[in-house]
Amino acid sequence: MTTEALFARDVRKTYTSRRAPPVEALAGVSMVVHPGERVALLGRNGAGKTTFLKIASTLLRPSGGTVEIFGHDVGSRPDDVRPLIAVVPQEGKPFFHLTPREQVFTYLRARGYDGRSARARTEDALGQMGLQEVADRLSITLSGGQRQRTMVATVIATEAPVLFLDEPTIGMDPFARRAVWESLRTLTKRGSTILLTTHYLDEAEALSQRLYIIERGRVLVDGTAATLKQELGGTLRVSIRGGGRLEAQAKEFGSVLLDDGTLHVITTPERLAELIGLAVREHLTTTVGPVTLEEAFLRVVGRSIDVEE
Amino acid sequence: MALTHSRLFRGTVAFSLTELRVQLHESTAVVTSLIVQVVLLLFVFILARDLLPVALFGAIVFSMFGLGQRVQNEAAFVRIDHKLNELYMAGPLAPEAYFLGMSLGVLGGYIAPVAVLVGVTLYVVGISATTALVLLFGTSLVWLFASSFGYIVSTLFRDMRTIWPYASIFYNLFGVLPPVFYPLGFWPASLTPVALVLPPSAATALVQSTIGWATLSPGEVALAVGSLLVEGIGVFLFAIYWARRTVREN
Ligand SMILES: Nc1ncnc2c1ncn2[C@@H]1O[C@H](COP(=O)(O)OP(=O)(O)O)[C@@H](O)[C@H]1O
Ligand SMILES: [Mg+2]
Repeated sequence: MTTEALFARDVRKTYTSRRAPPVEALAGVSMVVHPGERVALLGRNGAGKTTFLKIASTLLRPSGGTVEIFGHDVGSRPDDVRPLIAVVPQEGKPFFHLTPREQVFTYLRARGYDGRSARARTEDALGQMGLQEVADRLSITLSGGQRQRTMVATVIATEAPVLFLDEPTIGMDPFARRAVWESLRTLTKRGSTILLTTHYLDEAEALSQRLYIIERGRVLVDGTAATLKQELGGTLRVSIRGGGRLEAQAKEFGSVLLDDGTLHVITTPERLAELIGLAVREHLTTTVGPVTLEEAFLRVVGRSIDVEE
Repeated sequence: MALTHSRLFRGTVAFSLTELRVQLHESTAVVTSLIVQVVLLLFVFILARDLLPVALFGAIVFSMFGLGQRVQNEAAFVRIDHKLNELYMAGPLAPEAYFLGMSLGVLGGYIAPVAVLVGVTLYVVGISATTALVLLFGTSLVWLFASSFGYIVSTLFRDMRTIWPYASIFYNLFGVLPPVFYPLGFWPASLTPVALVLPPSAATALVQSTIGWATLSPGEVALAVGSLLVEGIGVFLFAIYWARRTVREN
């Protein structure tokens, strides 16, 4: 028994079927999410993110290990866990023959909210997701991004203690994505806990306080965006257009990558001036920016793939 | 607290209203649900007008039976295409409330055509109090059976396209082939017990006996009534168990 929002120990899942060979989707995942935290689950396609979220949200039977939500075991006490959680399923869609307003409202009613508070929460959530203009159109007439916003609105309106969101911003425009971030931040300020998956690394960085990278059913990294970026050996990316001939010299400053004629060097602020000086002497155009989480992700996961293969 | 959370049927009414709204937004489907019945009634009207009372009551029973097919397709579509079962199951709504609420919502959406059929029957042939009671008893259990069965079947499929043929085979086979639209006497006598065991024809046999179109021995009445009760309630109870069981995939 723990008071962690989510406490997972050695979760394993092997999918078996009569027709296909077994698939080991999770090979022992342990994870802790503290109350009020926003945690992102990252990983390549097929890494096991959805499998983990489904097990944690009582929708899939694990082959081994345990998950507790606020101390309630998802396997043996699902009826205690379910009122505490809400889920945006991967590739979920609202009822085609309901409007967003009806979808959110009736979902809240089905979760036990009285009519008055359901109505207030519905309007609030529709507003947060910018859905007012389409709130009374059947979802079948909405765009993919608008439907996805409806799904997110439906779930954030619950303000459930623990929210699982599987690729919640997929297909959304940049404004809508930021609206989701804002809503999720507000929810955690009010005490909810959030575990989400995303393939947008900028989103993971902007939104999550901590992240787990899953690779082949195992936790590869457990840390923050900052600690992950340290794996790159520098905080700045210097890009030198046409800098191929500097590659050998640049290696002294950090890791290098030649891409489409541009030389990218990951380095530290202390060595920046020296490196730029090198490029200037060769009359080459140089741009400097911070390293991104995406670069760190590619590096860390890529290294792991190399080791495996 | 644990007790209220695990409370059976929690959220049934609210979810049935959700599903009812869904159905009412699709009113063309509601209207077209009468097509088979109207075509068969037309044939009977042209070919054997004296059988019209039998066919009218048969159409009512068939309509209630056919709701199972609607539940089956709706439950499968909402789960496979929309993944909405995940949204609803990962929450306080009881699994059996999801199943029963969906069935009730479909019933609410499709009750209007049935009411039309009842109205026509009342106007054309009249309905005695006895017939009305037997009809209510029979159609209630036929509906319970078909909706529960449809929900259970919906959980067995992984994609929509395989489900359609099964749905239409089952409901047409058991709704049209046995003596539902025609008198029990036209059905091979040696197979009478089969007709009395299948819910739709069990219900119509009982109704036909109240309007003088079938003569049932006390044993046959008991078989029809018993079958309806045991199968209707039995499959319903199993569907409750199954709804809980299938929340978590394997
Ligand atoms: N129902 C299933 N049956 C068999 N294999 C599955 C099933 N669901 C997922 N998998 C497999 O399990 C692995 C993890 O999948 P998933 O958890 O969906 O990954 P992610 O969400 O990280 O992309 C993949 O190899 C996938 O093919
Ligand atoms: Mg996934």
